[in-house]
Amino acid sequence: MESIDTRLSRRRFLQATGTASALGAAGLGTGLGTGLLTTLRPASAQANDPAGADPPQTRITKNICHQCPARCGIDVYTTDGRVHAIYGSTEHPISNGKLCPKGPLGTYILYDPDRFKGPMKRTNPNKGRDVDPGFVPISWDEALDTVAARLNRLRRAGESHRFALVYGRGWGASCAGLQGAFGQLYGSPNVAIGHSSMCSDGSIIAKKALDGVGGYNAYDYANANMLLMFGVGFLEAFRPYNNNMQVWGYIRGVKVPKTRITAVDIHLNTTLAGADRALLIKPGTDGALALAIAHVILTEGLWERSFVGDFRDGENRFRAGERVSPALFEEKWVRGLVDWWNLELKDRTPAWAAEITDLYERDILATAREFGSTRPSIALFERGAHAHSNGVLNGMAIHALNALVGSLYAEGGLMGQMGPSYGPLPVAADDFKDDYARNGPWQDQPRIDLKGDPDGYLLANNMLQELGPNSLAGRPYKLDTVMFYQANPIWTAPNGQVWEQAMQELFIIDTSPFPGETAMFADLVLPDHTYLERLQDAPTYPFQGWPLTQLRVPAIEPLYDTKYYGDVLIEIGKRIDGPMGDYYKVLDNTENLLRHLAKGFETDPGDNGVNDFESWKEKGVWYKRPYIYRQVNGEFRKWDGQGYNLVLTDEEVKEQLFKTASGCFELRSGWLAEHADWIVEKTGRDRRKLMFPHWEEPVHPGGGDLYMVTPKVAMHAEGRGANIPVAIATLQPVLGGRSTAYIEVNPATARARGIADGARVRLVSDVGSIEGYCKYFEGCRPDTIVFPMEHGHWAHGRWARGRLPGHCGEITVNQSDRITGQCSYYTTKVRLEPA
Amino acid sequence: MAKWGMVIDLDTCTGCQACTTACTMENSRLPGESWQDVLFYHEGTYPNVKLMWFPRPCMHCENPSCVTVCPTKATYKDPEGGFVLMDYNRCIGCKYCQIACPYGVRFSMDERAFVKPDIRQVFPSGDGRQWNPPYQAPQDDPGRGIGIQPHGVVSKCTFCYHKVSQAPAGVADLDEDVPELKEYVPACVRVCPPKARFFGDLDQPQSTVNRLIADKRGVRLKDETGNKPQVYYLSGGATAAVPSLRSMAAATVPTGPFSPPQRAPDTGAIAAHSADWTADQA
Repeated sequence: MESIDTRLSRRRFLQATGTASALGAAGLGTGLGTGLLTTLRPASAQANDPAGADPPQTRITKNICHQCPARCGIDVYTTDGRVHAIYGSTEHPISNGKLCPKGPLGTYILYDPDRFKGPMKRTNPNKGRDVDPGFVPISWDEALDTVAARLNRLRRAGESHRFALVYGRGWGASCAGLQGAFGQLYGSPNVAIGHSSMCSDGSIIAKKALDGVGGYNAYDYANANMLLMFGVGFLEAFRPYNNNMQVWGYIRGVKVPKTRITAVDIHLNTTLAGADRALLIKPGTDGALALAIAHVILTEGLWERSFVGDFRDGENRFRAGERVSPALFEEKWVRGLVDWWNLELKDRTPAWAAEITDLYERDILATAREFGSTRPSIALFERGAHAHSNGVLNGMAIHALNALVGSLYAEGGLMGQMGPSYGPLPVAADDFKDDYARNGPWQDQPRIDLKGDPDGYLLANNMLQELGPNSLAGRPYKLDTVMFYQANPIWTAPNGQVWEQAMQELFIIDTSPFPGETAMFADLVLPDHTYLERLQDAPTYPFQGWPLTQLRVPAIEPLYDTKYYGDVLIEIGKRIDGPMGDYYKVLDNTENLLRHLAKGFETDPGDNGVNDFESWKEKGVWYKRPYIYRQVNGEFRKWDGQGYNLVLTDEEVKEQLFKTASGCFELRSGWLAEHADWIVEKTGRDRRKLMFPHWEEPVHPGGGDLYMVTPKVAMHAEGRGANIPVAIATLQPVLGGRSTAYIEVNPATARARGIADGARVRLVSDVGSIEGYCKYFEGCRPDTIVFPMEHGHWAHGRWARGRLPGHCGEITVNQSDRITGQCSYYTTKVRLEPA
Repeated sequence: MAKWGMVIDLDTCTGCQACTTACTMENSRLPGESWQDVLFYHEGTYPNVKLMWFPRPCMHCENPSCVTVCPTKATYKDPEGGFVLMDYNRCIGCKYCQIACPYGVRFSMDERAFVKPDIRQVFPSGDGRQWNPPYQAPQDDPGRGIGIQPHGVVSKCTFCYHKVSQAPAGVADLDEDVPELKEYVPACVRVCPPKARFFGDLDQPQSTVNRLIADKRGVRLKDETGNKPQVYYLSGGATAAVPSLRSMAAATVPTGPFSPPQRAPDTGAIAAHSADWTADQA
């Protein structure tokens, strides 16, 4: 055993004058050492001395990081029953042995001292922000029986629609994948409601309007020669962050030619600092920039003719301000180009965009020329560009650039994502539907969030941010019971104060392993395992197109009396009256389900040899290269086992790649045109233009004079960063914050308000006010303040509590893009004043 | 015997701090005790603002000032691999080394907790160490400053001695992409997503680290101190570069902190910021 003399201090040293024997005599063994009993021997002797004790046994299990959606494969190191290290799995295609700064913190999450230790029920009927719930421990049987009794009672009363299941980060078939069948068998349109409208539906639906697919893209960055990034936080938060940085190291340090990068954002961050060109744009105007780039690509003849098409006589007639006859242009894979030009683009000059965006005309022109003349190139965007009232238009304008340069499905371009070869489930939900499930009154009820409803958000995928306010208002009805999985909208939704009222009158079930704002309002807490204790599958988010799915393998037995959410759902299902209960008895448990999924690998083994459940557990990942589609010079091809040799027919392209009415990339969106009446009624948009990418001024609510943008940063550990001390200590490196996260303010803006560097300030909007400390930052636009969406939790654990700045959601107005349903997180304007 | 060295490519470093957190967890460091820190700077006026960052481990100097000033020989240069290590049993916490180190990479954590509440109170140690987190790594070697330290001592980066010292003899480079070697690679190098870090033997001419230093003009920070760091920085493959004293004969280089200061070529903004770095750790 190694020893350490912990009594030694400077004072004692002065008393004892330090001989070796006196200094090393304590012998306080720790039980952890691999060395030997020693005091102050020369260091070189220690290294050569054989260890007396047995070496500790270290076991490595496969898992997937849980701290962002990227799904990095990780190796979890456990020695003598203690998990002590996490590294990226070398053989995992996303992590490739690397980690982002969050990855190593997983061991802390496992041993978080604030974790819930088992199921609990509330004893204090009063609910409020600072009201002690009076939780008492209960058994799992009591917890599950309580939920089931409640659901059975609602169902008998014909009110099953008043049960909602809300989820955030769904991982795979064994958790969120179970929810759809649960909703169909039980009978509720509100099982389940995802968080995608509070995530990035703005990009999904903007793309759907043009290419008909409606998914996040996979990107072939490594083969691209230019990347044009609009508000994506590529080196801070954009998924898959770890892999993005690996790619960055390659395209910026190894690849010949070096990939050029232009990054557009509202403040200087590491992405902009690392890019060739940083454009500090006025919030909400990214669409204007994209339109001007498209304008230049057309006027200067830089478009990709093999994909877009050309003038029949080869003469470019796109001249600023001049209309063009559609008959002169022969389109190939796009539709509506000339109409778009005539209605919108012809006037969208760089000079025009400079006025709107607050950028220099010369920079817009240079960006456009570089993007238009560098192949392959990708234009990518996320929430920075589309979390505004005009988000769908901004997103369409940006995505249209990919069509103009022909990067859709091209090498070095962007594509779709294939799913894994899972085997079928052991049981089919349709066989277990009773008459209530098929024809019950719930079938006539709208969703609580009015998704898909003409009175609400007809074209959206989800509208979780509306659930709390709608239930509170009883519009369309009041919910009774809400269960949450990996979601905390009482905190993450804009103006969450309304949710606090809404949840006072609801029966709340939380499944998080950790304390949080939802749990504070919960009637039942059914804590999940943390990720290092789970057996859980997770197919990849769009990554590089080819299919990939992975498995979390428990590193240790659960530390506490917790239960995997997928099994909680199955156990509740077993307790529901009628055939639904039988369905879940056959399904039995999530491991059984996972074993059935893995049977699909038997006939379609992965590239790494994974061909069954056991090998999946051992390697942690199944994947199969390559991506099967590729567009080459305007021809769509499919992989035949040897190469991209099969040429797709127009009909096959329409079925598989451009799922629009025309089977082409529709610059004139047929899908939006179909809903023109509704769009005109709800948005007031010009009936001729609403289906084209076009410029519209964003609506900035809040009543203030400064834009407020609250990005997620690298240490945002999927909602837990605020209670991880190491994450707190490294949260905001750009401003030098150690334990303090600052509000970035341009010095001129602060001085004009009499605010000193480092002073405590207040931010005020129409819905609330918060406080925090301001830091002067010249990299911040003078009309914008920026701070990370992280702190201001009031029930997240001992380190999160009361940490400034306050939560941005409390001053963010709940405003959404009417088309995409995207929550407009970055569009509220606030007032800044000394506190 | 190897002379281990690290090369950090500033052209591809993304400032993500994965090195910082991987080191913190591998070596059971306290929040804010960032042996491997990344320091951020900005200059200029909107909209022409330059944002920079600088990853900063212990330089494991060939001629370390910290060793020279240590009154108890608690900090020492390990002849086997060139590590600069700490013996917690000898350290009296006088902090001379902290003051002498030109790079600000030595830490004493007793005065205050960076993040409150103090995690040491949450995971207290029963045996007089500063704390005892349940996720603590198994390696423990107080004679080399490995494992959780007692109160009243200074701590520092070990170059992940507990990993590197186990590497197969004679290996030129510890590359995390070689599966057989990854367990011997320092945590900060192993996780680095853009592969901006390289670790190898500076005494082997064929090592990748030596090739990178030559091809991409590796420079050492504050060369004028004569400390001769074993950490090199790459910043661009172009002809223009920050000159380094590496090219000068050993005799012309000051050999210790008490040697007469010799005016080095201007090393630019990086050196100008050094005072801030030291202050940052205070």
